[in-house]
Amino acid sequence: MLKKTTIDKLPELAAALMEKGTLVAPIKEDAGFNFREITDAKQVDLIFHNTIISPKSAFFPQMEDFVRYQTGKSILEAAPVELNLKPTFLFGVRPCDVKSFQIMDIHFSGTGVVDPYWQKRREATTIFGFAFDMNEAADAAEFYHTLGIGAADPEGSDIFMVRKDDILMLKVITPKGEKLMAGLSFPTDASADEIKYFDDYIAKGHDYKTRYTCVDTEAIAREFESIFDNSDFWTKISDACLSCGVCTFVCPTCYCFDICDETLFSQGTRRRVWDACMFTDFTLEASGHNPRTKVYQRLRQKVCHKYSYHIRKYGVISCVGCGRCTRYCPVNIDIFSIVEEAVKAKWYKRL
Amino acid sequence: MVISFKQIEEKLKTEAKRLLGESQVSIVLAYGKGYDENHPMPYVARNPSDVDNIVFNEYCNYNLARYLVRYPAGTKIAVAVKAADSRAVIQLIQEEKVKREDLVLLGIPVYGMKNPKTHEIIDGKTTGGLYNPVLYDILLGDEVHGQAIQSPYDVLAAYESMDKEARFAFWKKEFDKCIRCYACRKACPMCYCDPCFIDQTKPKWGDKSPQSHGNLMYHLTRFHHLAGRCIDCGECSRACPVDIPLYLFHKKVAKACEEMFGQAAGMSIEDKPALVNFRVDDSDKFLE
Repeated sequence: MLKKTTIDKLPELAAALMEKGTLVAPIKEDAGFNFREITDAKQVDLIFHNTIISPKSAFFPQMEDFVRYQTGKSILEAAPVELNLKPTFLFGVRPCDVKSFQIMDIHFSGTGVVDPYWQKRREATTIFGFAFDMNEAADAAEFYHTLGIGAADPEGSDIFMVRKDDILMLKVITPKGEKLMAGLSFPTDASADEIKYFDDYIAKGHDYKTRYTCVDTEAIAREFESIFDNSDFWTKISDACLSCGVCTFVCPTCYCFDICDETLFSQGTRRRVWDACMFTDFTLEASGHNPRTKVYQRLRQKVCHKYSYHIRKYGVISCVGCGRCTRYCPVNIDIFSIVEEAVKAKWYKRL
Repeated sequence: MVISFKQIEEKLKTEAKRLLGESQVSIVLAYGKGYDENHPMPYVARNPSDVDNIVFNEYCNYNLARYLVRYPAGTKIAVAVKAADSRAVIQLIQEEKVKREDLVLLGIPVYGMKNPKTHEIIDGKTTGGLYNPVLYDILLGDEVHGQAIQSPYDVLAAYESMDKEARFAFWKKEFDKCIRCYACRKACPMCYCDPCFIDQTKPKWGDKSPQSHGNLMYHLTRFHHLAGRCIDCGECSRACPVDIPLYLFHKKVAKACEEMFGQAAGMSIEDKPALVNFRVDDSDKFLE
């Protein structure tokens, strides 16, 4: 079932979704686009390439409160924070970012230890995937094509959207999406021509080239294992690295967090906050010992976690090629160049 | 006068090759190729053969003085410095983090550097209104003369026209964008504290979560730790993924410091950092 509406009717669609629950969609901010909870239907803007912060924040916000307490009072008076979620609509997610949710599911529910916060948010949310605009050139930082993700890949979305000039086509992918679409009155049925355009567009998405091609995950994992102790290699790779947290904070598949007790006057909150393996104090132990004091050790951890340990443990690369880490790195460190350097032309062929 | 980036790059390569070849230095901090031409990277050359990877173009903004403290004391380092970067080196020498005799400064006289994100020319905004390095051993090109000098404080006009409430509202709005990635402090050549106050837990100075009060604590403290030390390279603002104009506050404090103590940061090795040095004739203006 392919439905359509027009871009100028976007505020109406947004308003209809806001009536049904919470709408999280890209809006334009000073430095670029970001996913935010929409308060004014006119804010929703689909003329964007991709957001600064990945949409993981819809399921795994940078700050999640667990327990509220008062200092000096009994622990029995501490109250857990309940998640009262309304149905949520995550609108306009690029295919590579949709893929990242599946990778994150491994950690937050797939291993058997279920994170209730992630799980509840996932269940409450309907995902509107949104194809990249294939008329514009891919960003120089992106490489999702390498990782087998099409520029118009509907996999993982509940409803998938393709924009053709002023027309926005919406296709139902899952039963969850179908239920939602049935309750929306105004997107109209698409014509036979538009159905053909939509199907062709999705097929074409797999030929839309980003930077590289050909990946053998097994070979990558093996190469990284063999150079783990090569500190000269890692020192060279990390010469420019500032050891800040930009790459991990914008990444859709970085999931490390810290649990902190934060107190303002006597009001305390136990919450989790994003942490980053690039921070010096990430591995600082209570004894004062720190197993990763050098920048190269931290950068090696980040790269090898995604491109080596994760492959060995779960069979997939923990990266979707969205290019955010490269795009926002203050010194332009490019993760795929590191992978390329590590496996030295054994498996890849430059386009 | 037009800057030839290619010519600077060639001279940088020649000098780097010579210094490494003659074993005068063990590393050269310069600029290297990134994933495309608009995105060069800081680069460390350790062998004469590494020199081929060195590049220089209008996007090579990075302040390489930031990397000096990473190497063990006594390491002989050649470092490429633009005007603001040379001031950072001087400031680090004043603060006894590096020694003058361990450094070979490859001065780059340049203007027209661009922000790779916005492609705007950064001369007026940052770089302290200087085009020639303040201190250098080897100058890679001719000194820039005749280019209109912009005061480093000109961009403060709009900010200074705001009253107290408006300024607080301005910073609150800006700091609310902060995601606490700490790119600003990590890009800063003067932020070398280990551990940074915000990472300390005994005592704990500020929260880790990106909320208004914690963000305010982090940024205001950092601003004040840099009072009289910020050399206006603008790296903090360019490193910021959410474009917080941190340079405005740094400039404001630098201006106040310069007016009170008659000394700008990092202009002479003989100076002492303004806030470390007590002079009988120091301004008492702040007490009035």
